[in-house]
Amino acid sequence: MEKLLNKLLEKPWVVIALVVLISAGFFYVMKENSRMETDLDKYMPAEHPAFVYSDQAEEWFGINDGIIIALENKKGIYNSETLDTLKQLTKKFQKMDEIEKVDVTSLYTADNIIGTEDGMDVKAFFKRVPSSEEKIKELQENVQNNEMVFGRLVSENETVTVVIAEIRDSIFTQDFYNKILETAAAFETEDIKIYVAGRPIVEGTMALLGPADMKKMVPIVLLVITVVLLIMLRSIKSTVFTMLVVFFSVLWAFGLMALVNIPVYAVSTMIPVMLIAIGVADGVHLYSHLQLYVAENPNADKKEATLDMIKNMWKPVVMTSVTTSVGFVSLLTSEVYPIKYFGIFTAFGVLAAMLFSLTLIPAGIMIFGLPKMKKAKNENNNSGLAYRFAALVVKKKNISIIASALIIVLAIVGMQKIWINSSFLEKFEKDSEIVLTDKFINQNFGGTTSLNLILDSENLDAFKNPDVLKLVDKMQNKVENDLEIVGNSFSLTDYVNRMNKVMNADKEEFNVIPDSRELVAQYLLLYEMSGDPENLNKVVDYDYQKLNVTFQIKSDNSKAINSVIGIVESFEDDFKKLGISVKYAGSGYKGLVFTDLILEGQIMSLILSLFIVIILLSFMFKNFKIGLIGAVPIVITAAIGFGVMGFLNIPLNTTTALLSSIAIGIGIDYAVHFIEQYRVNARLTGDRILTAQKTMAHSGRAIIFNAIVVIAGFSILLFSVFPPNRELGALVSLNMFTSLVGTLTIMLVLLFTTNLYFTKNKK
Amino acid sequence: MKNLKNSKIISFIMILVILVNFDAMAQLTGKQIVEKAYNRPVGKDQTALLTMTLTNSRGSQRVRKIKQFTKNAATVEKSIMFFQSPADVKNTSFMSWSYTNSKADDQWIYLPAIKKTKRISSDSKSDYFMGSDFTYDDLGDRKLNADTHKFLKSVTIDGKSCYVVESVSKDDEYIYSKTKTWIIKGSFIGYKKEFYDEDGDLLKILSIKKYEKISGIWVITHSEMKNVQKNHRTSMKLSSVKVNTGVSESSFTERMMMRGM
Repeated sequence: MEKLLNKLLEKPWVVIALVVLISAGFFYVMKENSRMETDLDKYMPAEHPAFVYSDQAEEWFGINDGIIIALENKKGIYNSETLDTLKQLTKKFQKMDEIEKVDVTSLYTADNIIGTEDGMDVKAFFKRVPSSEEKIKELQENVQNNEMVFGRLVSENETVTVVIAEIRDSIFTQDFYNKILETAAAFETEDIKIYVAGRPIVEGTMALLGPADMKKMVPIVLLVITVVLLIMLRSIKSTVFTMLVVFFSVLWAFGLMALVNIPVYAVSTMIPVMLIAIGVADGVHLYSHLQLYVAENPNADKKEATLDMIKNMWKPVVMTSVTTSVGFVSLLTSEVYPIKYFGIFTAFGVLAAMLFSLTLIPAGIMIFGLPKMKKAKNENNNSGLAYRFAALVVKKKNISIIASALIIVLAIVGMQKIWINSSFLEKFEKDSEIVLTDKFINQNFGGTTSLNLILDSENLDAFKNPDVLKLVDKMQNKVENDLEIVGNSFSLTDYVNRMNKVMNADKEEFNVIPDSRELVAQYLLLYEMSGDPENLNKVVDYDYQKLNVTFQIKSDNSKAINSVIGIVESFEDDFKKLGISVKYAGSGYKGLVFTDLILEGQIMSLILSLFIVIILLSFMFKNFKIGLIGAVPIVITAAIGFGVMGFLNIPLNTTTALLSSIAIGIGIDYAVHFIEQYRVNARLTGDRILTAQKTMAHSGRAIIFNAIVVIAGFSILLFSVFPPNRELGALVSLNMFTSLVGTLTIMLVLLFTTNLYFTKNKK
Repeated sequence: MKNLKNSKIISFIMILVILVNFDAMAQLTGKQIVEKAYNRPVGKDQTALLTMTLTNSRGSQRVRKIKQFTKNAATVEKSIMFFQSPADVKNTSFMSWSYTNSKADDQWIYLPAIKKTKRISSDSKSDYFMGSDFTYDDLGDRKLNADTHKFLKSVTIDGKSCYVVESVSKDDEYIYSKTKTWIIKGSFIGYKKEFYDEDGDLLKILSIKKYEKISGIWVITHSEMKNVQKNHRTSMKLSSVKVNTGVSESSFTERMMMRGM
């Protein structure tokens, strides 16, 4: 390996030309072939039983996410102007190519089924916009008397009414999103304000805002990293080549992705984050070594210096990169494809960064000469500081041990508080328009998030059975009454209750499920004959074996969804006795399962990669104890990361869970470089204290450089307008910092106290 | 319909004209063709067993067996339907009086589970009939003057020589923007019909699978309506059809609904 690298040193231009050429190739494929995957359904593992069932149920009942367009008129909605706007808006949405006409619901499309003295009357609430005062009054009364509409399509304070347009996830595009917003905005007048909400809108806004914000922030992050690198390395050449390593590794990772035709997922935006944090490290360690060598051997020429750098550094660079890669490859155990890809391509990027560090950086030195050393004096000061710090750490080792133990205990306490959140809305600022709109609609209506409960029976016509329907009704009532967060629920029972009431002259005491099975069947037949039978298809299947109960929830927070599931589960035994199984469907539920899966996979891979790392390090250093010690920074970083999230009430979601991977990447980097240096120094000096001090001055210095650079860069994200990006910045910085502290204190203490490398020498 | 007699005479004369001069048929206007199809003799009354099969996009089916009686009087068409199966709706009956003028239909339902007859009123002719793919209009309630009819061409399908007429709704809020009907020459049976939705896209196709001459009257005994957008279809099969057996108009009462005919 070393020979090969030395050989390459003879032909630096060839190396650079080769790298640039391959990169150009990757760049070309990327331009031709790269595409963003925006369909969130594509992120889910399609073969997972929960998703398979949910997808089926969505098809059975036409369960789709709804866009909610709310019209507010502070003077009340019962006037020709508002009603006309409602009608026009409804028609406009019905005519959109992306939306099925029957999937648009509003007061304009709704059936009003009312009881009369001698029977039943089915009418539209209005077809032509009423203009006379008495007609408007009549409409108002009709709405108030129909609980299937009042509070659902018209707010109880009568100042807001909604149009609900259901759309399939797969057709949601950026253009369509803009079209909806523009269409809605065009109807606004002085009196009428229009709000647009619903999960597709939230997802759409997020898909728009997150990357847009990243696009703005990433150049600044890179700029800051470059500037700080410049200050740290005190050399333009070194800075440029370190950044080139990062740049090319990112390019290769995405280029390969395009080459094998894998789309860019939202999670993939984490790849550059990882590669920046990890890629910078190799450059910093190499140049740091070079600087120290030149400082000690001022007369050495560039070739000697480079040869020495390669000789001493190729091993730790290869070791860290290979171990880190293997750590990322362990993400293959995840059931979520975008995460698998994230693992593979980050691993590839890390290996690419290794390749560039070992070829491009030496080639750069050979062509452009050694980086200039400005102030040697300051260096001595720094080493002095490093020496004193190392001595202190070693002397007061108990502080490190006790502090580490305390921190781990605290972190474990914090981890208990960690909760998983699949909420999209909570990723936005509390005072952002989208959150306020959602809040506004939730105040006036049932809720913007829906959970679909699917009851599945083996028996034909099971859901014509009054006992079953009564139990469903009881469950719906319990959920609605016990949970303030649930606005309303809807199922077949609402139709049966309504029909029973209507057929009994609209008397409230008949707003219940009748006792006779035949009567239920006859009501349903009657509804089919007089109402829109499509409506029933949304709540029950053709054979009355499957029932869809929809809960409208005022939050898409996982706790809220789980609280509904909790109450439903208390009815599971009763349903089981009737031969009915309980399952769930819909995007809210899928999001919940999905987040769990990501998390499960992440924890699994974290544990797995920890084992792999320990084994690899044990082999590399031919000592099992070293393997264990090397894993310490990883454990500390991960534990503190999760612990802090617990204490700060930051929920785990896709992004924050993935961040724990950075703990591995950085932890390994720091540990390997430090241990390798420690080993070399131990052999050279044979003195424990001096070894600790020399290692601190060498590796410790590089580690601090690296940490400062990355922390400075990612702190920029704290100024992002998009909260998840802020969390990202804070957590990356935190992880870098804890890795740094963990490596330089407790790991050093452990290396020191275990007496490795010295016992051998003494013998 | 005060000129019922006159119109009969006129049609008699027209048939004579047609027989004398076959070429004249080609000169029928779209409106005349549709009028002939609408006014095709269907008999004074009809008794039949209707099997209605609804099939959804997943292939699930709902089968309903209904005994039906219809009476065509001068200004009103009355019908009663008694459900035979499924068992839980057996003896549920449905009566409708459909008027030839623009008056809204009168409808009643009898629910045996509560032994009560209820009046149901609906303001829309575009309602679907018993959850099927047929609207009341599709089943023959559509008025001639509600559309503008245009003769397009003569074609031969399934060996039958047909007129193709396009009918465009005069009311732009109507569920169909237009329909295209294939009307068999001579018998004036609507053999096939395409329904286009408000956006002008094909929505449904009606096809006649079988028609028979019963007691001298052409009766469509098997038809199928397919909603191509929802991939949903309804088949209607008539069996034990009897025509002109002298069902009395006075039989169509609420009492009869409860008792059964």
